Amino acid sequence: MSDTQKMVKVYVMGEAYMVPEGSTIVGAFEYAGFQLKRGVGCREGFCGACATVYREKGDYKLKGGLGCQTVVTDEMYIAQIPFVPADKPIYDMDEITPDAGTFMNLYPSVFRCVSCNTCTKACPQDIQVMDYIQAIIKGDIAEAANLSFDCIRCGLCALRCPAEIVQFNAAILAQRLYGKYIAPKSPELEVRANEIIEGKYVKELEELATMEKQKLVDKYYNREIKIS
Amino acid sequence: MKENIKIPYFPGCTLKTKAKNFEVSAIEASKMIGIELTEIPKWNCCGVVSSLSTDDLMKHIAPVRNLIRVQEMNDSGQANGNRLLTLCSMCFNSMKRTNQRVKNKPEDMKSINDFMYLEKDYLGGVEVIHYFELLDEEILGRIKEKSVKSLKDLKIAPYYGCMLLRPKDIGIDNPEEPSVMENLISSLGGKPVKWDAKSRCCGSYHTVNNKDIVINLAKGIIENARKSGADTIITSCPLCAFNLDNRQKEIIKKDHGFRTMPVFYFSQLMAVAFGLKEEFIGLDGNYIDPKPLLKEKKLI
Amino acid sequence: MYPEYMQESIKKVEATRPDRLELARKLGKMIYPGMNKQEREEVLNENHPDYKAEARTKVRIGPDKGMVMTTEIAEMLERYSRIDIKNFDLSKADIKTDVLVIGAGSAGMSAAIVASEQGSEVLLATKLRLGDSNSMMAQGGIQAADQADDSPIIHYLDVMGGGHFDNKPDLVKALVNDAPLSIKWLEDMGVMFDKKESGQMVVQPGGGTSRNRMHSARDYTGAAICKVIRDEVYNRADKIKYIEYTAIVELLLNDKKEVSGAVMYHLENKQFSIVKAKSVIISTGGFGRLHIRGFETSNHYGATADGIAFAYRAGAHLLYMDSVQYHPTGAVYPEQIVGFLCTEKIRAIGAQPVNKDGELFVYPLEPRDVEASAFIRECNNGKGISTPSGIKGIWLDTPLIDQINGEGTIEKELPAMLRQYQRFGIDIREVPMLVYPTLHYQNGGIDINDRCETNVPGLYVAGEATGGVHGRNRLMGNSQLDIIVFGKRAGQYASERAKTIEDAGNLSLDHVLAYNKEVEALGIERSKVSPIILPDYIPDHVKAKQLIQEYNGTLI
Ligand SMILES: Cc1cc2nc3c(=O)[nH]c(=O)nc-3n(C[C@H](O)[C@H](O)[C@H](O)COP(=O)(O)OP(=O)(O)OC[C@H]3O[C@@H](n4cnc5c(N)ncnc54)[C@H](O)[C@@H]3O)c2cc1C
Ligand code: SF4
Ligand code: SF4
Ligand code: SF4
Ligand code: SF4
Ligand code: FES
Repeated sequence: MSDTQKMVKVYVMGEAYMVPEGSTIVGAFEYAGFQLKRGVGCREGFCGACATVYREKGDYKLKGGLGCQTVVTDEMYIAQIPFVPADKPIYDMDEITPDAGTFMNLYPSVFRCVSCNTCTKACPQDIQVMDYIQAIIKGDIAEAANLSFDCIRCGLCALRCPAEIVQFNAAILAQRLYGKYIAPKSPELEVRANEIIEGKYVKELEELATMEKQKLVDKYYNREIKIS
Repeated sequence: MKENIKIPYFPGCTLKTKAKNFEVSAIEASKMIGIELTEIPKWNCCGVVSSLSTDDLMKHIAPVRNLIRVQEMNDSGQANGNRLLTLCSMCFNSMKRTNQRVKNKPEDMKSINDFMYLEKDYLGGVEVIHYFELLDEEILGRIKEKSVKSLKDLKIAPYYGCMLLRPKDIGIDNPEEPSVMENLISSLGGKPVKWDAKSRCCGSYHTVNNKDIVINLAKGIIENARKSGADTIITSCPLCAFNLDNRQKEIIKKDHGFRTMPVFYFSQLMAVAFGLKEEFIGLDGNYIDPKPLLKEKKLI
Repeated sequence: MYPEYMQESIKKVEATRPDRLELARKLGKMIYPGMNKQEREEVLNENHPDYKAEARTKVRIGPDKGMVMTTEIAEMLERYSRIDIKNFDLSKADIKTDVLVIGAGSAGMSAAIVASEQGSEVLLATKLRLGDSNSMMAQGGIQAADQADDSPIIHYLDVMGGGHFDNKPDLVKALVNDAPLSIKWLEDMGVMFDKKESGQMVVQPGGGTSRNRMHSARDYTGAAICKVIRDEVYNRADKIKYIEYTAIVELLLNDKKEVSGAVMYHLENKQFSIVKAKSVIISTGGFGRLHIRGFETSNHYGATADGIAFAYRAGAHLLYMDSVQYHPTGAVYPEQIVGFLCTEKIRAIGAQPVNKDGELFVYPLEPRDVEASAFIRECNNGKGISTPSGIKGIWLDTPLIDQINGEGTIEKELPAMLRQYQRFGIDIREVPMLVYPTLHYQNGGIDINDRCETNVPGLYVAGEATGGVHGRNRLMGNSQLDIIVFGKRAGQYASERAKTIEDAGNLSLDHVLAYNKEVEALGIERSKVSPIILPDYIPDHVKAKQLIQEYNGTLI
């Protein structure tokens, strides 16, 4: 760290620390001397492990964000949320159907949504959370799957929902129902999978596997390239 | 003749799930008489579920959001007129109640608008109506004109339930002697049955936790209809339909001598009378199979 | 936003863009001639970090003593165990299970599902939460030869060529043969692959592929897969027990030198506990967080090659630990996301790499090592762009994507990427992104056969922790594939073995004791321990004040 580095003050769990300007919240924790065990996973905005509540200088609002993606500001208060112990019912994907009834059984709380939109405001992924919950209520599973696709399960929506809905768990169910039952099956995959089960490529693969190296190299550099 | 009516329409969640036959028949039959229902964008469930339990402001947020959608449609010229139409009696009741509450209590309106600061303020200009309120003389005339299959042999008991009529300042008709459904039936060429149970309670949400209450009430209602000479009952509420139609399964279990009776959404009979395709009538969605009755009366 | 001085270079990129767009319209992907064998070797030799003398060292102890390895790996292997073995009570197991799976990325969780399906009781122990892994982060795609104009045979050739023919043929055979079955498995579980209306998969080419073979789920492919697999793990609670924030630090062997269990370390209360198991599957992933050669990395926080450390102590052989994959396109600006992976799909759908003068200098889809070396060469030749903190990079001209494929393509195909940059005020639909190779993938690993068996009986390995499938260079999309194919195989065979075993036998750490002696003989400082478990980013001046006696190199 050079001497010219500009520093800002952040309050980690209430205690003040000076950290370099431009640090992410996770980076600020580390700079302050915390060896993080919880509250960090991918460090790139994909896993949702780093849900953080923060408040900025002069603002009364408690905001939620991803610790690995949010840059600290001067006089920011930060507190991590190590995990959300949300309800996760168990189901057999072969026994359920892609409709509102399935959610009525597994996530009845979804139907208590009062449309306050707090979840959408909380979501660091800019997902229209309320809309996907409403889509489930309407039985539009495809829409719910589509809208919720980017959910990384950070839990911030569920923490703030007055109706005690576990949005992210409902979301993955909607996505799986869509992928399994609503999206058309891939016809060419079906054909190829059957060929493989019948052992169609075994012999030829064996030949390649035992081929003399130079022959294989030639075959590789002479292979036809057909990409579009 | 008046011009066609194009009106913003709120389906409600049940019409998108359990009562698809209600929606399809209503939309298609309406087209025949020059009424186009435009589904409002990004609507929310009306919130009736919570409105029955508590009395805080929270429950009014969802309906107000829907009203804002109509307001936006007006502002952007997608709709003319300030009306929002519902088919389901429950949706009608809960949204109209909210609308009245916020119109009458500006402080509540402000609280809700403040809470939803990301939305435009609701200004109170929308009017919530039920489909039946469109049925003026002009429209009834069109219905008569389009009814190619006569329902004259069909004796129909109109079931109002409570959501269309109560409380009084919400209701669309005289709570003691309503007549809109009778007028509709007559225009379709059918025979409205006079009966005592037409606005008797069906048990409503007790169907979830206290099934037996509903089973007894429903049995009484259906038997009253039968005694009064009805072949069938019509309704405009998916919950009534569920209680009167699906619950007959349980009634039979308890009373082996019970004779089942088909229950229709009013719009299904419109579709029948207009001679629409069967997929637009949506008969597969009914629990007690109505086809034998319709065949017997030579209607399909 | 980019600083003023970079804007000038961006103007040059904008100036050449119309011509390059024209070129792409005419020639499709082949906007620049591909390199032949000799050219590839040249650029690799001169520029690839692996090809530098100090990059590799001979490891001095263990089963592969004398093997040339990446220096940082050799250094990690020449360390002591974290356990004080003499005082460690092994008389009673805290948990017993049929199959122990170590590491809950997609490889480990696939293995757990299959093993549970076979009737085994599974314990899944993982360092962070389930799914907090490299598996969750893959954006670009997963390969499988399921299209009519493609076949496992062609796929085989591409994998071998990409890996410079060092791949183990049996593993590649298994990989390409099982590929379509694995995609089917995922489709049946509900993964939302990108499809056309007919259901046909949307497939893209990738670096080193001779067909369009890359399947995707927008640019959250890894997450789409991993989230579904994780949900399925939760659904099997009766058979799969899982335990989070718990690292395995050592394997246990019985008197016959078969694996009989492992030692877990609970990160938070620092407690050790003992698992007894009939089969053990290592699926601990890669090593990006060891920051080899000082490179930034795209990997998740727990990618510290732990499995390699304890498998090696237990006698398992390693393969190709001298080879590291640098992904050509890691972000170098803005500073907060340095190392962040800019998926290959960006190039696959039309973005072109250009230098500071806006000139094309390489075919965009060479195999990764070749592409990365070409970028490094360009920067070494003074054609790169420096960031304020002095890192160099070249431009990836993303605005072309929408111009080639139509407006809205970036938003639809690369939502994660778009969002990531928007967070820092950069709209990649309007301006290019600045990239440089980032430490990405552990090409080598523990040596396995096509049943995922190692030379240590009872020890199975799957996923990035293995070596041999990809030779010395993995092609994009084959790793997401490999973790499913071999994850499932490991679950299958580990479970089969567990069924034939009555009791796993005694629990011993004697092999570690012996290993520690070898480390001691090298004169290594006592405080050096492995596995590393988590990287250490606490600055030195802060650490100096922490004064913790028990501080063991990396983890408090
Ligand atoms: C940013 C990024 C993008 C990528 N994109 C692609 C792509 O587009 N296509 C493709 O094919 N491949 C891609 N890859 C590579 C691919 O995703 C990984 O190689 C693959 O997911 C590895 O899977 P795995 O299950 O073997 O390991 P991981 O998914 O890394 O899982 C390993 C797990 O083990 C845990 N663990 C580690 N040590 C221990 C321990 N001691 N005890 C207990 N648990 C432990 C880790 O915390 C982690 O949860 C990408 C990788 C990255 C990082
Ligand atoms: S939907 Fe909820 S859990 Fe998912 S990313 Fe948004 S806030 Fe996080
Ligand atoms: S926070 Fe809960 S109640 Fe409010 S809109 Fe979201 S899901 Fe509905
Ligand atoms: S009344 Fe019922 S159907 Fe109508 S929207 Fe509300 S809850 Fe849904
Ligand atoms: S459901 Fe109804 S509206 Fe319908 S009658 Fe029963 S309680 Fe009233
Ligand atoms: S650490 Fe994974 S999202 Fe922040």
